[in-house]
Amino acid sequence: MRFILRRLGFYLIAFWASITLNFLLPRFMPGDPVSRMFARTQGKMQPEQIEALRKMLGVDTRPLWEQYVDYMHNILTGQMGVSISRFPTPVTEVIASQIGWTLLLGGTALVFAAIIGNLLGILAAWRRGGAIDSALPPLLIFIGSFPYFWLAMGALYLFGVVLGWFPIRHAFTDGLEPAFTWEFIGDVGAHLVLPALTIVLVSIGGWMLGMRNTMIATNAEDYITMAEAKGLRPGRVMLRYAARNAMLPSVTSFGMSLGFVVGGAMLTEVVFAYPGVGYQLLNAVQGLDYPLMQGLFLTITAAVLLANFLVDILYVRLDPRVRSN
Amino acid sequence: MTQPRFLRSARIAAAGLAVGAMLLTGCAATVNKSAGTDAGANANAFLTIPREDMSTFDRNFNPFAPTVNPMVQQAIYEPLMVFNPAKGNTVPWLGASWDAAKDGKSVAFTLRDGVKWSDGQPFVADDVAYTFQLQKKLKGGFEYLDSVTPAGTDKVTFTFNKPWSPALYEIGQLPILPKHIWSSIADPAKDTNANPVGTGPYTQVDSFQSQSFVLKKNPNYWQPDKQKIAGIKMLAMSGNDAANLASVNGDVDWSTQFIPNIEKTFIAKDKDHRHFWFPPTGAMINWQLNTSKAPFNDATVRKALSMAVDRDQVTKIGMSGYATPADCTGLSGNYASWKNADVANNCTWTKLNVDEANKMLDAAGYPKGTDGKRTLKDGKPFEFKISVGASSSDWLSVANVISQNLQAIGVTAKVDSPDWASVVSGYEQGTFDTGIVWSANDPSPFKYFSSTMGTSTVKPVGAKATENYHRFGDPKADDLLQQFAAAGDEAAQKGIANQLQAEYNAVAPTVPLFSGPEWGDYTDVHFTGWPTQDNPYATLSDRSPTTVLVLTTLEPRK
Repeated sequence: MRFILRRLGFYLIAFWASITLNFLLPRFMPGDPVSRMFARTQGKMQPEQIEALRKMLGVDTRPLWEQYVDYMHNILTGQMGVSISRFPTPVTEVIASQIGWTLLLGGTALVFAAIIGNLLGILAAWRRGGAIDSALPPLLIFIGSFPYFWLAMGALYLFGVVLGWFPIRHAFTDGLEPAFTWEFIGDVGAHLVLPALTIVLVSIGGWMLGMRNTMIATNAEDYITMAEAKGLRPGRVMLRYAARNAMLPSVTSFGMSLGFVVGGAMLTEVVFAYPGVGYQLLNAVQGLDYPLMQGLFLTITAAVLLANFLVDILYVRLDPRVRSN
Repeated sequence: MTQPRFLRSARIAAAGLAVGAMLLTGCAATVNKSAGTDAGANANAFLTIPREDMSTFDRNFNPFAPTVNPMVQQAIYEPLMVFNPAKGNTVPWLGASWDAAKDGKSVAFTLRDGVKWSDGQPFVADDVAYTFQLQKKLKGGFEYLDSVTPAGTDKVTFTFNKPWSPALYEIGQLPILPKHIWSSIADPAKDTNANPVGTGPYTQVDSFQSQSFVLKKNPNYWQPDKQKIAGIKMLAMSGNDAANLASVNGDVDWSTQFIPNIEKTFIAKDKDHRHFWFPPTGAMINWQLNTSKAPFNDATVRKALSMAVDRDQVTKIGMSGYATPADCTGLSGNYASWKNADVANNCTWTKLNVDEANKMLDAAGYPKGTDGKRTLKDGKPFEFKISVGASSSDWLSVANVISQNLQAIGVTAKVDSPDWASVVSGYEQGTFDTGIVWSANDPSPFKYFSSTMGTSTVKPVGAKATENYHRFGDPKADDLLQQFAAAGDEAAQKGIANQLQAEYNAVAPTVPLFSGPEWGDYTDVHFTGWPTQDNPYATLSDRSPTTVLVLTTLEPRK
């Protein structure tokens, strides 16, 4: 229990530091949202309207510390204000309407990548020097070294445009009403394949290598030799004895990745016009939309910290050594 | 034109990829869509348009929203008149006719008969008066407007607190809202106006999703014979690449985002049906020199630098040949009917002439050293920066061309390309050296000249400027601008505009580069009747006042 409380204290400090950074960073960027908007329309907006717009959007000109006090108060009471680039939609509403798609995309990709990657890692280590072990790691690392968006564009062009197998944009067919019908779910699934596939392809190599390496170390342990000597079935030794003990680092990375799911698929979302929070963040940064930026950063930070905290708790359960510390 | 840096590299990567794939497939580009040529299907088809600058739509049809939803001011609400820059003509719309007072202090509009709001209520003069009241309160502007007085149901008079003839177009092009709806809204600035009531051709919001929505026919439209398409479908896109893909794939009918090498990437896929038209009616793009700094305060220097710029190269290399080189009237193609032929024909300083530029700089006291580089009067090297936002790849290459051109006259110009936000903040504070800048684009050239050489728009360095970033004021131009504002009829305005152009030619407040093109491309597989160079009844813009002209002209292909 003391361990958990100590971790909790640490997380609170980390949280405070990150929300303070969230507050400061956008304000150190040059320009303000209104002049940014003005510049973007390139002369189509009347200069006389700028002041009125500043007032309407509530662009803050008070001293920084006053804004900071206000900001902290708002965060603690759960008020995130109104988005400027999607005025007058509240920030919470913007995030709520999009985070589901991001979780679906990132979550699906993460689960698939982790399961397939770990299984491949286990197999590769178990049959060291075999076909899987010698061919797959270099290939996957090669693919994994591509930037996300590059692979995404390649997949988009090949499978979407040239072959026409999968839809090339959005989360479901335009004009379809969201509902719990097989038609709609199938449609969402079809739209999910390409973006999820690119993320899986890029990240799978990391999972496989990580698992393979810990497995190799575990395989050298005496209790594996012992298990084999006892004549247990190889499959049982591989999964129950070796893999189970080699799982710990994978659990850690899974937890960490879980947190990054919220902000991690940004470029993929941009390429596929997928309606998640990633593209919204890009939009917010481009438009100097402070409230939305802060809301999104806060969500991402909270997700990362929460995921880490959960991993910490899980560790207490999985690894007795943590408890005795 | 504004996209972050990594997207630019992404675009380059995509272009490379596309070219590679095209080579592999032996350029066997096929048109995926062929089903649409069936007349029955076309009659029910929606006119599909992508928005590359909106990732998601909110069900917010409030015209006061800072980032207003597409088509709100084009298909839902309508203005009193529509100015068409492609032909230079004005089309009466909700206003049937108007009468500007000779002293320039008022304009009276007679409204069109029989116009109804989409909820069946009649459109009356009170609506017009109320709209301006609300606009002034929420968004400001219109400082010259004293009062808006309705007389009966079909007459409304705008009175100004000073002679202000440029008002006609500004008033005439503001979309009008229904008073009976808006006067009962508690907070008009923040209301989402989810089910808008307008006079426009397509007002009924249908199947609204964050990625797309449809506008269907206004049941009470005043020109029912012109609502020939079933509806308009808008698609949310995450940038130029996604929108270009949709265009190339034939998924959309009409788009206005920048397509590189349009002949090859777009037209070639279906030569019979796909077309583009880029009339030079956009804003004049200027190379602005900060005249609060030496040596840019010297008109001879500005002209000499301008003469060293090869505008053919600028438009060909920088703008992919889509733009038209400027002349020394400073006016873009938007003002073709205002141009002073005398000035335009006897242009000197907007034509490439390196020898003359060298001579002028020598004579003005900026000597060339033995290394071929010029120095300023205080002996420092003649060096400065050209600022452009990193994401505008086209303008960036314009700046690079200029920088290369200037080497011929011994001047060193470094291209400086941070994010647009920081470029603009340099413009606003007056701390920049030089930059590539857009300009005001209005039906009359008044705003353009007032923001390039009127003293009233000059802010001191350090004070936030929203126009006239180059901080140039000319009392002589002020005089002319005042006369222009007071002129009662267009003939008198044209006479003064001629003098303004002569003055512009004399003082060279900025270095005009090229008329910005008004992008537009379409496929007529589903709909016909598009504006073209031969029939320029509107431009191909899908977000300007002329858009409603296109929407009321298109018809399904039979």
